[in-house]
Amino acid sequence: MAATAAFDFREDDRSPVLALSGDWTVDTIAAQEAELRAVAEQLKPGAVVDVSNLGRFDLAGAYLIDRTFRESEAGETARIAIRGQHVNAMQLLATARASAKALPEKPHRTPGLIGFLERVGRVMAGVGHELIETMDLLGETIVFTGKMIVNPRRIRWVSIVHLMEVAGLNALPIVTILSFFLGLVVAYLGARILADFGATVFTVDLVAFSVLREFAVLVVAILLAGRSGSAFTAEIGAMKMRQEIDAMRVMGIEPMEALVVPRVLAMLIMTPILTFAAMMSGLFGGIIVSWGALDISPAMFIGRMAEVVPEQHFWVGMLKSPFFAIAVSVIACQQGLSVGDDVASLGRRVTSSVVQAIFMVILMDALFALWFLEMNW
Amino acid sequence: MSDDIAIRVRGLVTRFGEQTVHDGVDLDVRRGEIMGVVGPSGTGKSVLLREVVGLETPTAGEIGFPYHEANTIEPRLGVMFQDGALFSNLTVLENVEAPLREHTHISPHLRSEIASLKLFMAGLGPDSLYKKPAQISGGMRKRAAVARALALDPELLFLDEPTAGLDPISAENFDRMTEELARSLGLTVFLVTHDLDTLHAICDRVAVLYKGKVAAIGTIPEIVANAEGWVKEYFSGPRGRAAGRSAGG
Repeated sequence: MAATAAFDFREDDRSPVLALSGDWTVDTIAAQEAELRAVAEQLKPGAVVDVSNLGRFDLAGAYLIDRTFRESEAGETARIAIRGQHVNAMQLLATARASAKALPEKPHRTPGLIGFLERVGRVMAGVGHELIETMDLLGETIVFTGKMIVNPRRIRWVSIVHLMEVAGLNALPIVTILSFFLGLVVAYLGARILADFGATVFTVDLVAFSVLREFAVLVVAILLAGRSGSAFTAEIGAMKMRQEIDAMRVMGIEPMEALVVPRVLAMLIMTPILTFAAMMSGLFGGIIVSWGALDISPAMFIGRMAEVVPEQHFWVGMLKSPFFAIAVSVIACQQGLSVGDDVASLGRRVTSSVVQAIFMVILMDALFALWFLEMNW
Repeated sequence: MSDDIAIRVRGLVTRFGEQTVHDGVDLDVRRGEIMGVVGPSGTGKSVLLREVVGLETPTAGEIGFPYHEANTIEPRLGVMFQDGALFSNLTVLENVEAPLREHTHISPHLRSEIASLKLFMAGLGPDSLYKKPAQISGGMRKRAAVARALALDPELLFLDEPTAGLDPISAENFDRMTEELARSLGLTVFLVTHDLDTLHAICDRVAVLYKGKVAAIGTIPEIVANAEGWVKEYFSGPRGRAAGRSAGG
């Protein structure tokens, strides 16, 4: 279809002639670039371009020819004389000349170690800044929630109930299934290790302790961070990008009240419920393994649990859940509100929403563990 | 004769469920002309554009490129979408380089030079080349989008609402740029617009889409001479008259 670009350079009687043939278009010029460079050095002022055998010609081709002339001895203002007839060669060459400007320098980046240190510094400063912003939003959320409690008509129940369903209830199947498997795994682990000591019955203690105190609430918090927190960030972020949040402000609707507080409250209500469900299904997983692999009947399992596992472990797990709920939802909303007006920042914010939320949940869990240890709970 | 026609649309029907958008659209766009498509909101102007460039399939009817088919050349299309649709994670220059990078083997340096040439032609300054689309103004984004549409030197350029959202002076400059590019590069331009000034200033011919059909086609004086109903209201309303006066005077 497209004929390959070719040229023939000869020094005629007086002036050198660059005879073009074939198609010189964006598709065909790639191969000629290097060879034309060599020609540029021999091109003397007064050189002629012969276009009589030229096929299709476009601006990319014209640019390359024009560049060749500009790089020759004659320099930037080299005149291009044309020999022969062509539909658009003259016009395109003129257009290319008129608009060609030197490519500006790329903005330089600080190279090497200093650049690396600079970026590390920026990231660290960014982390500090984000922490302050998140605390800022937490404070604001508390203030607004307080205001809404004083004036309960301003609470948006429809929105809260809807979010409870979407962000909480719909997570119930996945939360219970995962927790069930975790209970299963812990019970197997116990059965395996404790059998060496002939103390397999302690599997019950192991499952009950770990599921009630840690695993149920952690599974819920991490899942909600990945599932509902990311959705919060994406929703609020997209609204920010499409100026919907500005529109709310202009109308006198406070985004804190309409978007942030309902999300935080919905999570605050749903997380303990999900945690409870996760505890039950985790224990159920433990019961199944104990029954199947250890000959501990469900009745025995529950009986022993009632005997040796104090109720406080249940409350330790439940107590943590609202704190995790607040951490996840406040971080998600804060990241959503920080989305800029480009798509890349939306992706970045959703990622950091999930990463920060999970980080915060585990950090808080560690702090709780320390505190409960000191309190002897 | 058919040698002269760049885009031919025949018996085009588009339905979305119950709603009929096009009900037998016939349209010829001649080579090298700037064709403006107008019509009330919801008459499927943008849908027509999307169907011609192949992003959507019409329910029935034919769309062809007679000139290119006669000469066995693959029609190459450049499209500028309404908000530019520049890739937000690339710089402006990289946006224009992207089609060149995908479809040619041109060396990186020459590629950057060709891309920057297109950007300069579209009226961007050297300082905006390495910026991200989010860092330049809406008008500049549209210019960059035109430069990207022209990256592979297409013969057919499609513009969707090129001047929407621009201030009158930017819009006028944009029109002038479109015309200059079209004339100097020999482009055939298919543009969908609401801007009466654009129609008067640069369009060789105008097609009016109304109630699923081409209600009128021709130069503006031709259309105005035979106008009735919506078409008349459109071109002879206060805005239409003002745009006509300023283009005439």
